[in-house]
Amino acid sequence: MATVFMKWLETTPGDYDRGIKLLTLGRGARVQAHITAMVHEGEKVLEIGCGTGTLALMLARQGAMVTGVDGSPTMLRVARERVDTGGLEEQVELHQLDASLIADHFDPGSFDLIVSTLLFSELPPDEQRYVLRAARRLLAPGGRLAVADEVVPEGMMARLVWAAVRLPLVIVTWLITRTTTHALSGFPAILAAAGFAPRVATSYLGGSLQLFIARPAEEMADERPPVPRMTHRITLRSLLVNLWAIFFRIIPPYPKVRPGLYRVGEPNSKSPVLVTGNFDLTVRRVVRQLDGRVDCWLLVADSAGINVWCAAGGGYFSAEKVTAAVKISGVEELVAHHTLVLPQLAACGVDGRQVHRETGWAVRWGPARARDIPAYLSAGRQKSDAMRWVTFPLRERIEMMLVTLGFYGLFILVPLAVLWRPMFWPVTAALCGLSLFYTIVLPWLPGHDGLAKSVPLVCIALAGLYVYSALWGHLPPHSIFNWTVGLVGLAVFTGAELQGMSPLMRGEQANWMWEGVIGTVLAVIYLVGSRLISW
Amino acid sequence: MSFWESMFEHVELARKLRYLRIYFDPQRCVGDWTCYEVCPVGCWTPDMEQHRAIFHDAQRCIACGACALQCPEDAIKLTTPGRL
Repeated sequence: MATVFMKWLETTPGDYDRGIKLLTLGRGARVQAHITAMVHEGEKVLEIGCGTGTLALMLARQGAMVTGVDGSPTMLRVARERVDTGGLEEQVELHQLDASLIADHFDPGSFDLIVSTLLFSELPPDEQRYVLRAARRLLAPGGRLAVADEVVPEGMMARLVWAAVRLPLVIVTWLITRTTTHALSGFPAILAAAGFAPRVATSYLGGSLQLFIARPAEEMADERPPVPRMTHRITLRSLLVNLWAIFFRIIPPYPKVRPGLYRVGEPNSKSPVLVTGNFDLTVRRVVRQLDGRVDCWLLVADSAGINVWCAAGGGYFSAEKVTAAVKISGVEELVAHHTLVLPQLAACGVDGRQVHRETGWAVRWGPARARDIPAYLSAGRQKSDAMRWVTFPLRERIEMMLVTLGFYGLFILVPLAVLWRPMFWPVTAALCGLSLFYTIVLPWLPGHDGLAKSVPLVCIALAGLYVYSALWGHLPPHSIFNWTVGLVGLAVFTGAELQGMSPLMRGEQANWMWEGVIGTVLAVIYLVGSRLISW
Repeated sequence: MSFWESMFEHVELARKLRYLRIYFDPQRCVGDWTCYEVCPVGCWTPDMEQHRAIFHDAQRCIACGACALQCPEDAIKLTTPGRL
């Protein structure tokens, strides 16, 4: 179930293109036409974030030699197909590359025009600056930069109108295509700080979609902004985020921390550099363990707002992300050593040797849990086996139970409350009872994964039903039949889903098909059986 | 790729997930022990005398793939039985 939901959340390239069209109310095409009119035949163009290649193809048809980079392999697959069908292989070259890595992959001064649409608004400010500086180096003398993006309009009234129009558009677009965008503010200043002299070439939709054209300026300000400090504080926001995370953790948008370098305490050039993902809860839990105990640098890498283990297992927290974090942050200017301490649970997704190869920083695998970091550091970066091994204690099982119940509350109980009112409370009680029971006895149930563990759960649930019926309830046969089918379904479901989706239980991801099959069989049994009984 | 196509692709993955296991070639092991450092369930033990790692307790393995990804000598593979 959760897997099906997660799959639905994934944006396909088609979804993305449709989503952008909706959000820009079709003005994206005009911006692309405007950019295309800027190029001359034979010019070398770099498109950062080329997506499915729409603009790259337009530029190539205009006679330009286009290099397109994008971080998403699925987008690039579509772009490649389109280049092939268009017969433009000679003119378009595509690379799978995050924007932050362009500086290392192309020679300085190799492009006449660098273009980018709707990319910078997706990047945190540090990364915007970093990519812009890289772009400045890649431009040939006389070269120019064209950036089209969504912009928060200037002025109070314009902003209010913009927000009022945009909000419903954003919600509808997200529901149809799971695509959303953000809007830049203060971008001309960031362009100027990165060494460009920008002007707004054209703007659409009341100034909320703008095309900036910029040429490298003579001078380049090169000031490092101070590294922000993180402290452990309980605020209204943190309480609300915790509450959200308890029940609806797997429903986006995930609460995120802006990726980048932070300091905890008063670190100096010898202090350790710890790396973590950018899920809000993860960062706060790490800081809570460190603040007041350890002085260190905390490098928050972009893990798409997902916790370390799941993000690493799912390909969102990778060597590329850590490499990008190291480079963008400029952490090497602040410390005298070259050692990163990564969370051990990132090891299933972050290739440590690749990080070393690409950054020159050595990777040490820290403890699995944030609470062991102070002890690990004070022991001279030595771990005990207890720091290595993951357990699933009652406290965490209860947390997992609440996350799962929050999700199924939405997907089972809300529809029941609307469509089948009399079944709402019985199902709620059964779901909560089974979940709580399963949460407590999980370690003692036989079997390696949730589906196997659901067999004893089914037996216990049915035994409970029959004992209750025989001693107190004296339920009529059709009612016993209905409850039997319902409880088997709920017990299998609980068993398979509630183990969480971490690799620890080789989880739900491997089981959801079986859930589907068992659910279908039960539905058939119910439909046939209830007819037979009433007949 | 539509939602249904990607769902269908995931059926294959889900099937594979059930049968993934670790294949270890001790001949290639150089005793780097990163596998031991990163295993969250304690499947690996360093053998100090032989200067190599020992994979034991395959029952406990959760097929997370950390050891396979970090092994400097590619001595560890995480795959399904047919694929080796």
